[in-house]
Amino acid sequence: MFILLMLGSLSLSAQGTVRGKVTDSNSEAIPGATVILKGTTTGTVTDVDGNFSIAVSGDNPVLVISSTGYEKQEITVGSQTSIAVQLNDSDALLSELVVTGYTVDTRKQTTSAVSTVKTRDLAAVPTGNVEQQLQGRVAGLTVITNGQPGTASLVRIRGFGSFGGNQPLYIVDGVPTQNINFLAPDDIENTTVMKDASSASIYGARAAGGVIVITTKRGSKKPQKLQVSYDALVGFTDPGKGQDMLNPEEMAQWTWQAIRNSTHPDSVPKFNHPQYGKGNNPVLPDFINVGGESGLSESQVDLQDALSKYNVNPDNGGIYQVVRANKAGTDWYGAITRTAPFTRHTLGFTGSSETARYYVGLSLQNQAGILKYNDFKRYTARLNTEFDLGKRVRIGENMQVTYRSVLGQQGDGDGANVSQDENDILFAFRMPTIIPIYDEKGGYAGTAAKGFNNPANPVARRDGSKDNSGYGAGGFGNLYGELDILENLTFRTSIGANFGQFYGYSFNRRTYENSENNAAFGYSEFAGSSFSWVFTNTFRYKKQFGIHSLDVLAGQEALKDGIFRNITGSGLNPFSQDPDYITLNTVGNRQVGSNNNTPWTYSSYFGRIHYSLSDKYYVTGVVRRDGSSRFGVNNRFGIFPGFSAAWRVSGEDFMRGVTWIDDLKVRGGWGQMGNDNLVSPVNQFSLFAASLDNSAYDIGGTNTSTAEGFYLSRVGNPNAKWEVSNTSNVGFEALLFGGKLDVIVDLWKKKTEDLLFPVPLSQVLGGFADPPSRNVASMENTGIDMQFVNKGKFGGNVGYEVTLIGSFLKNEITAVADNFDYFDVNPASNRLGSTMIRNQVGQTISAFFGYQVVGFFNSGNLVPDSIQAGAGLGRFKYADLNGRDDSGNLTGKPDGKIDDADRTFIGSPVPKFTGGVNLKVTVGRFDVETYLYTSLGNDIFNLSKWFTDFYSTFTGAAKGARVKNSWTPNNLDPEAPIFEEASNFSTSTQPNSWYVEDGSFLRMQNLTVGFNLPSRMLERVKLRRARIYAGTNNVFTITGYKGLDPAVGGAADTNFGIDVGNYPVTRSFMFGLGVTF
Amino acid sequence: MKNLTNKLMVVASIALAANLLLSACKESFLDVEPTGALTDQVLSSRKGLDGLLVGAYSVLTGRGDWYGGVGNWVHGSIRGGDANKGTDAGDQAVANPVQRFETLPNNGVVGGKWRLTYEGVARCNTLLRLIGSTTDPTVTDADKTRITAEARFLRGLYYFELVRIWKNVPYVDETMTAEEAVAVPNNADVYPKIEADLDYAWNNLPELQTAAGRANKWAAGAYLAKVYLYQNKHAAAKPIFDDIILRGSTSTGEKYDLMDNYSDVFNISFDNNKETVFAVQHAVNTGSTNNASHEFVLNFPYASGSDVPAGCCGFFQPSFELVNSFRTDANGLPLLDGSYNNGTNAVANDYGVTSAQPFTPDAGPLDPRLDHSVGRRGIPYLDWIDHPGASWIRDQNYGGPYSPKKYVFRRATQDNLTDGSSWTRGWTSQNTILMRFADVLLMAAECEIEAGDVDLARTYVNRVRARAANPSTWVKRGDGSNAANYVIGLYNTPWTAADKDAARAAVRFERKLELSGEGHRFFDLVRWGIASTVINAYLQFDGAKLTTALGGATFAAKDLLYPIPQGQIDIHGADVLKQNDGY
Repeated sequence: MFILLMLGSLSLSAQGTVRGKVTDSNSEAIPGATVILKGTTTGTVTDVDGNFSIAVSGDNPVLVISSTGYEKQEITVGSQTSIAVQLNDSDALLSELVVTGYTVDTRKQTTSAVSTVKTRDLAAVPTGNVEQQLQGRVAGLTVITNGQPGTASLVRIRGFGSFGGNQPLYIVDGVPTQNINFLAPDDIENTTVMKDASSASIYGARAAGGVIVITTKRGSKKPQKLQVSYDALVGFTDPGKGQDMLNPEEMAQWTWQAIRNSTHPDSVPKFNHPQYGKGNNPVLPDFINVGGESGLSESQVDLQDALSKYNVNPDNGGIYQVVRANKAGTDWYGAITRTAPFTRHTLGFTGSSETARYYVGLSLQNQAGILKYNDFKRYTARLNTEFDLGKRVRIGENMQVTYRSVLGQQGDGDGANVSQDENDILFAFRMPTIIPIYDEKGGYAGTAAKGFNNPANPVARRDGSKDNSGYGAGGFGNLYGELDILENLTFRTSIGANFGQFYGYSFNRRTYENSENNAAFGYSEFAGSSFSWVFTNTFRYKKQFGIHSLDVLAGQEALKDGIFRNITGSGLNPFSQDPDYITLNTVGNRQVGSNNNTPWTYSSYFGRIHYSLSDKYYVTGVVRRDGSSRFGVNNRFGIFPGFSAAWRVSGEDFMRGVTWIDDLKVRGGWGQMGNDNLVSPVNQFSLFAASLDNSAYDIGGTNTSTAEGFYLSRVGNPNAKWEVSNTSNVGFEALLFGGKLDVIVDLWKKKTEDLLFPVPLSQVLGGFADPPSRNVASMENTGIDMQFVNKGKFGGNVGYEVTLIGSFLKNEITAVADNFDYFDVNPASNRLGSTMIRNQVGQTISAFFGYQVVGFFNSGNLVPDSIQAGAGLGRFKYADLNGRDDSGNLTGKPDGKIDDADRTFIGSPVPKFTGGVNLKVTVGRFDVETYLYTSLGNDIFNLSKWFTDFYSTFTGAAKGARVKNSWTPNNLDPEAPIFEEASNFSTSTQPNSWYVEDGSFLRMQNLTVGFNLPSRMLERVKLRRARIYAGTNNVFTITGYKGLDPAVGGAADTNFGIDVGNYPVTRSFMFGLGVTF
Repeated sequence: MKNLTNKLMVVASIALAANLLLSACKESFLDVEPTGALTDQVLSSRKGLDGLLVGAYSVLTGRGDWYGGVGNWVHGSIRGGDANKGTDAGDQAVANPVQRFETLPNNGVVGGKWRLTYEGVARCNTLLRLIGSTTDPTVTDADKTRITAEARFLRGLYYFELVRIWKNVPYVDETMTAEEAVAVPNNADVYPKIEADLDYAWNNLPELQTAAGRANKWAAGAYLAKVYLYQNKHAAAKPIFDDIILRGSTSTGEKYDLMDNYSDVFNISFDNNKETVFAVQHAVNTGSTNNASHEFVLNFPYASGSDVPAGCCGFFQPSFELVNSFRTDANGLPLLDGSYNNGTNAVANDYGVTSAQPFTPDAGPLDPRLDHSVGRRGIPYLDWIDHPGASWIRDQNYGGPYSPKKYVFRRATQDNLTDGSSWTRGWTSQNTILMRFADVLLMAAECEIEAGDVDLARTYVNRVRARAANPSTWVKRGDGSNAANYVIGLYNTPWTAADKDAARAAVRFERKLELSGEGHRFFDLVRWGIASTVINAYLQFDGAKLTTALGGATFAAKDLLYPIPQGQIDIHGADVLKQNDGY
């Protein structure tokens, strides 16, 4: 009946047949484009050559021509019988290039979870490293970073698959690397993030943490005259404010309060402090240090006499300083920080002829950190060229040379672990406010003045590093050749390499101003070099057979990485401390050392088949076989397959009537990926080492030299094999309401099995040997990634675009080892009696472990010492949660006693949700863009409170303002426990839930107003493009976290979220200019 | 021209590619040999085995763990009441529960000691395993015997540490596989194994060694006898001690004797002197401060300036109880009735007095060894200055008025024998003396009381006291006068078998005075069976003054042993490694 009606309608109003051809902006045919007669269900699809023919009818027939990746076009047929339609590239996400594996596809074709990032979204953010710009831009990509310029960051795609080595693999112009800190943001053309196995597993090993493919700019295929672009970004970062500290008067009063709090109620407090005197009320001194005397008033000091004895040079005899009290209080955070300038300039040259294409990029970035003498510089030169040698052969190269210098960086892991570092930022909150920065003659003031314990003057520490120097220089790139063997068969070969060299020296002041001083002036010098290479050969066959499209890739890859040697030298006490004088030749006590890293190799074969039918049904299969030198000869090779399929539902006839859906694709995939990132290159070997730290000994009794000793440094496991993660992914992508709304949703699950874990050895076998990785553990990550883009226009010239990105993550350890179910990790610095990080089955990675604080002891709930050691008024009251039976096993039941069995899980640093909102409004030539980032459901262990909130933790050192709200008999709902002298199990020595704070935050990362010069003006000054903009970064942060900044990174996947000295991300102001001529 | 360049580039690329492809396709491409390390085959040569032996010795230093060395300043001295942790409440708070006997099984002080001591055991086992399988013809039987004997000496020493600290420890030796080792329960008596190792060393080590730091026959004998003594096998220990006292000599061949000056025993310049039976060797400016006396690096007065040694970190402050013990009667004998803490017998101190306030040091009779062992206000602190009292103490209210002295370097040795490469000069080359001849004499005295000639014990004790009684060795002021009122005498009344108790009391007290702060006290109290009484009395006496550090602390039966580290129980399984009672 329906068919009859259709036929009837056709026959009734037939006006004839229209033929046509659909091409893109390069006049290349677009196969598979949909051609519909507007207002009807009549339609057709273009053939391989872009041709179509359609019967038209009606009064004023209009054809609607659409193809994914292009702007929809309506053509009024009129009297035409032959129509040429050129479709413009659509701005929609679907048209984006997706650099999957060794190929380039469009989003339309992809069958797996991949995200692309537009470069222009990123360049306005003034970060040191490119990967920081990805924060909040890609659903499922977590970037935890800090405020140091040039810092490394924790970058994780879809959670934490393993106990380490979860960093993504970066592919820069086809060359794999673990580090992209050399890249200049303006050189980047395209960034693709491959999140699931069905796409990433073509990279097999090392892709388990996801793959980020970065392509740099190049000349276009179409001949184009030289274009020169210039982009500049200048601005400054404001250090913001430090933590609230007690002022000198408050500190003195609270010191007296601590003495009162520590005195037995039946006794009289014995007030006694070297500075504040012995009276019932503390007295602020006028001088805190005059030749070693403390707590002096103006009248007690003969200033002229004292100044005549002044000496701060240990070589000239005893130190004699004259230091006034700074009763107004010193802002130490302010003293070590600065308004930090930023500049970046990039010049780009692009052009192409019929047979050659090139891009030249020159970039300079100078960025100061908010901490004094923390500076970042990066100068890069990039040259990308490609030449056609005849019709079938192309050769090219992508090459970058980089000079990079990061000075004054704090924290290990190239700065990523600054939050666990007891650094100068922490010192700013340990240094009493009554101490001035300088003494009366301009020397440094410090805790050599008695009664302030041992913090070091952080300004002196910063100044001491001002002559330090160091840089890394290197080259990165590849040479490639492509040969079109047949029309549809291309062979590509590429040799990539990464070379790096570094050099530097640093000084360590001999100090006099502190209570604990460096005994000597130290100097050290270091240098080293690294090298890696990769060699890749692929064949690609791509052909369209009618409605069938086939894309086959087969390849081979070999690489060697980790070739690294370095040398260090150090010495003490040069004759002159002039940095121009000092070399290793002019210091005493010379020591030298060097390292030679064991490199690793991979040998791999891989293939991919991509098939599509009528541009509606897509199937992709990938497989890769990897061999790794990190495994013993029996388990070296692993085979990792992946499959995915997609169905473009909107391509079906029955969807044609659903006009609000422009495009709808449903897809699913499964794949396996191998991982050996965590595995040492020498995992298979039992090794002995000679080490000055671990095994040298003065057997001869010389007092000044050692004999070489050997020890078992590593236990080998020749049977370790690939760790395998199984990832499944289902998702859909939809383009709705005429391109106004773009939705991508993915549900995924990643199960890591045979997880490689260096199972701790029993110490009866020796506690110094590194245990080998064994395939014993497992982990599960599940999540949802979402992206919504909505754009539209109000009236003629107001447009907007909103992008919402969000991802939910659940991470759980499901097995640790055969015989036990947890392992503890100690952060880089920890003053508590035990660690607060336990990785245990059933918990997330790096979970916080300690006592659950249920409140503070008030007189009503005090318990004897035998129940909780050190119990006392105003101290922590812990929950009794567990006990041990006679055989030492946990019972899970309270046992009336608080001991180590009662420790429990008190938080997790893994965010449950991360997301971003990007809002852009265009008004004529103006645009306003803002971008917010949020991390929800993660906890932070605020270890800095150990220093600032207890009197007994380095008694006399600075304390924070929370002390004013500490426990007293009249303040039973305090922020901190009683301020007192004791340090025990119930006060400051144990990890507990009081340190754990909600680390959720929402930050407006960027707000930019831009203006694009109108074309009239451009023509007048002969410019193609000109844009000026101004922006603010880190405009505000909403968080309940009490530390400096909730962006708290860490050392590794099993060890993060601990904050003792975090370097905050603070507000900056930027002005930018971009022109092309 | 351009075309030619391109072609050349293509050719070059293809050549390079082919080359790489060939090498990459070879199976051996994935065989990457380790760099900068050795395998066991290489080490089974004589030099290799000797290097492994050096590695086994090197664990004695604690390798950078403040609590892992064999000096036992926390485990032996602080727990025995010689000293408290000192410094302030917050620094190294991990040791606070140890001095208060509130130690939990996850305590880092306990964990560090376990880890390092078993590392020592493991290195000995590795060496013994390799020496048994060596096929290197240049390794002679004599080499094998000597190396084996030294390794077994060290293994005996490490197990002795384990057994007196935890008692119930798994015994792992070189014959076991890793799986077997982890399955060994901790319920067997380990002493017979220790005796076997030390007996082998005693019978096989040479008297004269090739290096001062190596244990010789006499060191092995002294340890064997000490191990007997710990088991109250006095009769077995006595002949060995007799032999050592009669014929014993240092590893470099010097006959054992007491140094003339008590203070010289602890002078870096006299390391490995004739009194040294066995010592941990330390060296400075070697490229790692772990080779210096890291275990004691925190134990210097706390002050800045050039008149104070090291200046950091104020730990290990001698107790009131110990200082009072040095009170003597008119005959120069100690107050064995315990009255030294009473009233005016207690030594006057500057607790609660600032350095700016006047203070007069104690004027009563004192054993001169006090001022070689303890730094106290007004008394010359080695060749530095007179101890100024509170200004050298980090938190006098918390740790008391005293500073340690035995392991503090002299100003004269500062530039050459301390390590200036880091934040304190507390890393020195001073050896940690594990056993010295005075210790041997006093142990022999115990044996004589229980299984020999009681009055010979008096002779041994008097030999130790006579050295201390030489007035020329007492601490002097600049004008040559004695720094305090030193009165010390000998036991002139013969000791009789009828009154062994008095003899025991005298010998035990002599050990306390002579060997204070040297890591022995706690273990002595435990083996004498008087730990609970003595330590509780100390806690009560010092706890009344140091209320924050020690107030309210008590010693219970469980505290005779440390808890076994919980983390290790979790690895072995609670059924294999059973926790000590009471934890």
